[in-house]
Parts: sequence; structure tokens; C-alpha cells
Amino acid sequence: MNKEAPLSIAERDFILDALREDVRLDGRGADEFRPLKLSFGEEYGHVKVQLGKTSLIVRISAEVAKPHDDRPFDGIFNIAMELTAMGSPAWENGRQGDLETYVTNVLDRVIRHSNALDTESLCILKGVSCWTIRADVHITDYDGNLIDASCIGVMAGLQHFRRPDAVVKDGQVIVYGLDERVPAPLNITHKPLSVTFHTFDEGKLVILDATRKEEQASEADVVIGMNNAGDVCYVSKFQGSPVDALVFVTKTTVALEKVKHVNGIIDKALQADLAKRSKGGLAEQARAENDRPVA
Amino acid sequence: MGGPIAVLHPLDRADGSASYKCPSTGSNILGSVNAPIELPGRRDALKPEEATIEVFVKPGTAPGGVGERYVEGILRTALGRVILGREKGYPRRGVVITLAIVGGESVGRGGSYLPLLPALLHTATLALLSASVPLSVTLSATVLAVNSAGEITREPSAKEVTTATSLHVLAFTSKGHLLLNESEGTFTFDTWDDVYERALAICHGSSTFGSDGDVAMAETTEGQPLDGIVRDTVEDHIHRDYAWKIDAA
Repeated sequence: MNKEAPLSIAERDFILDALREDVRLDGRGADEFRPLKLSFGEEYGHVKVQLGKTSLIVRISAEVAKPHDDRPFDGIFNIAMELTAMGSPAWENGRQGDLETYVTNVLDRVIRHSNALDTESLCILKGVSCWTIRADVHITDYDGNLIDASCIGVMAGLQHFRRPDAVVKDGQVIVYGLDERVPAPLNITHKPLSVTFHTFDEGKLVILDATRKEEQASEADVVIGMNNAGDVCYVSKFQGSPVDALVFVTKTTVALEKVKHVNGIIDKALQADLAKRSKGGLAEQARAENDRPVA
Repeated sequence: MGGPIAVLHPLDRADGSASYKCPSTGSNILGSVNAPIELPGRRDALKPEEATIEVFVKPGTAPGGVGERYVEGILRTALGRVILGREKGYPRRGVVITLAIVGGESVGRGGSYLPLLPALLHTATLALLSASVPLSVTLSATVLAVNSAGEITREPSAKEVTTATSLHVLAFTSKGHLLLNESEGTFTFDTWDDVYERALAICHGSSTFGSDGDVAMAETTEGQPLDGIVRDTVEDHIHRDYAWKIDAA
């Protein structure tokens, strides 16, 4: 079945009437995210994202593998997401639903195809071995806006992750364990995030970060993916009723502001985690760069 | 070594959930239970007089495979003996148990799932309790590794697992009966007997059976018995849930 129980007509009307009066069920403004909380686990690349009542865990892992034949210089990066009955009783274990295909596709487009992770830096030995980076998204609670939450999780995970150091000696690849050599951070080229909008009332009302009920009551969704510099790397109007072109123009500005804000939250969380980890001064010792005197 | 850390009902959507962390093996499992639930896709497979139990194990950093299907089978049989699937409202419905490995070492391709099995069992039990699924007994389980010198290690680390000659997972009901035994490697009957004694002590302490069939538990050299940890977790949770009532009294 893989479908949430539909809203009752009364519930739908209630949400819509409230929105017409510029009121949302949880009292947020139309262009406001739910409170976002990020926490990192003990391992590198283990992120827990809590966006309102939607929560998920992202785990990043690295493995040495053979690169694809047609791209011998490139490493491999995959985003794997499987919706299980844990996130929502409506999802069936081991069966792919429409939502899963859709969200995986958007994540692929926003993060992978925009080259957020520089795959060339994952090459160890041309055509022989490279790193395979895998991002696993585990949805633990689903209350709308899966796309933005997973996007935040994967990007935070990639920035938090450290891969083991590997060197090539006489044509042999040696991988050093995490305790033998200081693990290396991944090469992130830019930090794209997605911002999802939902429209109501023939496209007249547009809200950001819809909850599950708001999603169900909406007519259509618009996803904008962009980075801090304001480069739009993904725009989609996947399904539902038509949306005025002007919405895309005006909401891109809103999206940029939100992306900067969320990236700020991610940076702050990463720094707090780094400070916690480097309590023993290990990170300081391991750093190769010198402090640059500021003239 | 500290005991395992368990939290009841950390999730919002699922009917029942539990998170379980075992410090010695480093595994961290998140489990959810949805029950009783309609399983529309399997109308012909549903049993008319009892609940269909479905277990899904989701590895942390790899796609699911044969190993997961195998351990799901073990869990389904063990839990099937504990869940009272004939209670009112359960026949023709499903009990869906989802276990995600959210922390710790992943089981590699072809790797043994035995070191993770007790954590999976405990998580499933706690999640079932949190979902108020009727159970005949609760269970506790442990994993023991025997090395070539015949030493028995409780809840071995990944390194100890690779050097072990045999691995044993034993699960006991709250009444002290052996519910599940999975062994791997070569061992003798005498070794297994030793393992059994040790496992019983770990799960139940120095078990002294009372005349009414209840098990009196005491702390031994093994620390707090695992069965007690399951009890304590539930007790703590109930204490918090009914704080309003206790305060009022």
C-alpha cells in the first residue's frame, strides 16, 4: 500500500482555512523552518537530524573498491535510502514506494549530480582502486519534509566524515587504520541544500517545510536546491497542480536565505563537535598547517 | 565495563520503540514495533488464528543481504514463541518489528551476525514491551566466545570474535528456560555445558528458583543480571509515565 492514511475533509479544510488567515498548525510563519537539531555520534559521519518531529540518522562509510571502467580517475559516491516501517507504519519493509524513489532521486540530483563531493579526490590508484563513499539514510520518524531533512543529514555527514588515510607504495595500496594515521576529511566543493515549498489554494499560498499533514493537504510541491553562493543546482516541480512562474523567482530568494541559515547551523554543530573531540589536543597536533600571521 | 544502556519509546510514529546500546560490543540498535497492523499485501499468507510476525533487520552502512535474512529468521522463530499472537485483535494482523543498526561496526559481507544477536533480541523485546504487545515471558540473551585456550569471554569485541574458536548465543526466558541456542565453530559438549552455566549466570545471576516458579535474582560477579536490566528499563519508564499518579498519591 505504502500510503499514509488520507486526511479527512474536515481536517483538510481546517488546514487550508487556517493558511488563508496566515496561520499554520504549529504557529510558524509561512517561510519558517521547524526547529532543527543536529547531533553527531562517536563515529565519524554519524549524524542525527531532528527537524520538528521528523528525525533521521545518516551514516557515512568508506570502502576501497575498483573504479568504474569508463571513469578510472573517479571514486564512487552513493546515497542509499530505504524507507522502513520504523519511520511510518504506512511504509512496508522491503518494498519500494513512490516516496522513496522520489526522495532518492532528488537527493541524487541535489548532492551527487551537483558534485558536492569531489569524486576525483577519492581516486587512490588510477583504474585500480578508489574510495567508495556510501551515505545511508535511516528515517526514524516521518513527519513531512523528508527531502530537506535528509539533504541536511547527508551534507552534515559528508562534512563530518573522515576517511582512513591510504598511500600507494610500489603499486600496492596501503590503508592505514583510524588509530594509525590521522584520517582525512572529504573534499567538499560546495554545500548545496534543498528547500521544499508546498502550494495551496491554486498556487496563491506557498509555505516552507510542510509537516506531514500540510503535505497531504497541499496541491503541489516545489523543490529548490542551491548552495551558499546562491547557485541554483536543482529546481523541480514534480507533481500536482501548476505553479505560477513567479513563485520560483520569489521563493529562490527565500531559499537562499534559508540555505545560508541552515548551513550556519551545520557549521556551528560541526565546530562544537570538533571542539569536543579535540579536547585531548589531538586535532591540534595532527594539523599540518601552520597558523598564519595576520598582517 | 558498564552495563548496556536501553531507552524505551524514543520514537514518535511507531507504536513501540526502543534503543539499545551495548558498550562491550559497541553495537547500537534502534528498534520499532508496529502491532497489530494490517498487512494488505499478504492477504493469502496471513494466518486465520494467529498474528503474522515480520522482522526486518536493516544494516547500518551496507545494503541488506543474505546475512540479514538469516538473522531475521532466527529472531522471528525466537520471538514467535514469546508473542501471544492469538490474543484478541491479533489474528490476521501483523506484528512488524524493524531493527536498524545505527551504531558500531557493521557486519561485513558473509560476517557472522551472532555477536549482534543478543542486542537485536533485547531491542526487539523492549520495543515489543513498549508497544504493549502481549508476551508470555520476556527474554534476555548473551553472546559468549570461547578461545583456543578454553577461556570464555562474555560479549566479545570484534577482535576477540576473530580469534575465537566458537561463538555461542543463548537466550533465556524470564523463568530461566533456555529459549534459543545458536552456536558457531567447533566445540565439545563439555564446553557447551560451561557456556550454558556462564550464560545463565549472566542472564539471571545466581538463579535460585522459588517454590512459585519465580526467579530470585541477585548480583553476582557478572554484575547486574541482564534480565534485571530489561526489568529496570521498563520499571523506570513506567515510573516516569505514571509520575503524575504517584505524586498525587
